[in-house]
Amino acid sequence: MNSNNKLMQFQNNSRYFIFAALILSIIGFLDASYLAAEHYLGKIPPCSLIAGCETVLTSKYSAIYGIPVALGGAVYYFAAFILIFLYKEMEQKILLRLFFLFSALAFFASLGFVYIQLFILKAICIYCMASAATSTLLFLLSCIMQNIKKSSSVDEAR
Amino acid sequence: MDEQEQQQPTKYELHLQKRAEQKHINKVGAYMRLAKKMLLMLFIFGGAMAVVFGLVKWAGTSAPQTTIALDAVSLNDWLKGNKDSSVTLVEYSDFQCPACKSYMPLIKQLLADYEDRVRFVYRHFPLSQHKNAEPAAYASEAAGKQGKFWEMHDMIFDKQSEWAEKRNAEETFAEYAKTLGLDIAQFTQDTNNKELRDKVDADFKSGVSAGVNSTPTFFLNGKKMIQPRSVDEFKQQIDAISK
Repeated sequence: MNSNNKLMQFQNNSRYFIFAALILSIIGFLDASYLAAEHYLGKIPPCSLIAGCETVLTSKYSAIYGIPVALGGAVYYFAAFILIFLYKEMEQKILLRLFFLFSALAFFASLGFVYIQLFILKAICIYCMASAATSTLLFLLSCIMQNIKKSSSVDEAR
Repeated sequence: MDEQEQQQPTKYELHLQKRAEQKHINKVGAYMRLAKKMLLMLFIFGGAMAVVFGLVKWAGTSAPQTTIALDAVSLNDWLKGNKDSSVTLVEYSDFQCPACKSYMPLIKQLLADYEDRVRFVYRHFPLSQHKNAEPAAYASEAAGKQGKFWEMHDMIFDKQSEWAEKRNAEETFAEYAKTLGLDIAQFTQDTNNKELRDKVDADFKSGVSAGVNSTPTFFLNGKKMIQPRSVDEFKQQIDAISK
């Protein structure tokens, strides 16, 4: 009875986590799209009174082999959204594991980009930091969801 | 007993089979529905990205506020081009801003082509995140005191990457002054001149009150320009008002 309650609680929570992850990936996607758009459309981004975005977005770290990092971010958020959505529909563990793998990759990439902004460029782009925040949260969620899955399957086995 | 045992699994198996079949039918349908949803999402996300691109593009070209009080050209301003022209192009610029640097050749080209049609004014707008922008502005003004403002202006922009991140950029500017053949003692003294620093500050303040929030910002006859992206776009806007 007790373990059953626990299981239900876990499953209930997991629904919230899925919902949060979906929302976060949409936010991240829009943010990354904005940055990609700036990269492609703003030929000469002006220097603004408030942010150091232009330094970050025009730096050599903003693109890898001509592909803007932001576009990679948008693709990641889209993939994350699809994986979580598919998991919600199909409940296949492999999807959750893939999501975990992707989000871990994105998290470490974000760490790298935050490091570059703080210590190499010494300029902060608020939109890039927002993306780092969403990818960190997604990574945390993926860790939690993995663990829930594990504990609930342990409960089921009992 | 034995029969029962044999029968029970068969019943269960039948049930399982039935369920599996039903599941299979459901599965095919579910996969189709899922595929449709995926396709829909692909369109939605693609559409969202297109909308974001559209918005950024629109924001870059949409007309800003039309009338802004801009300080009239004064004797203190640095002028280039035809000083008596009725067309005045004012630039608020920051020496350490990469965008301002990339606009310099455009302005040069414009002034070469429209030399007697435009009066170009350069005003300082050193942004706080560029720690060497103010010293650069002081250096250009100090060079101006010895009649070489534009020479120093060009040199500072040309060598932006050389001094932008330096701790003692002032020394680099003094070297530039030497290269330009200026009186170094006078130059160094002038860079610390309060009057000169007040002028840079006044430029900045006039920019703030005119609604400048990024550099470079151009004003054509007192109106904030839609950021031109090429010499031709400058010319088009100038042609439009001087017809």
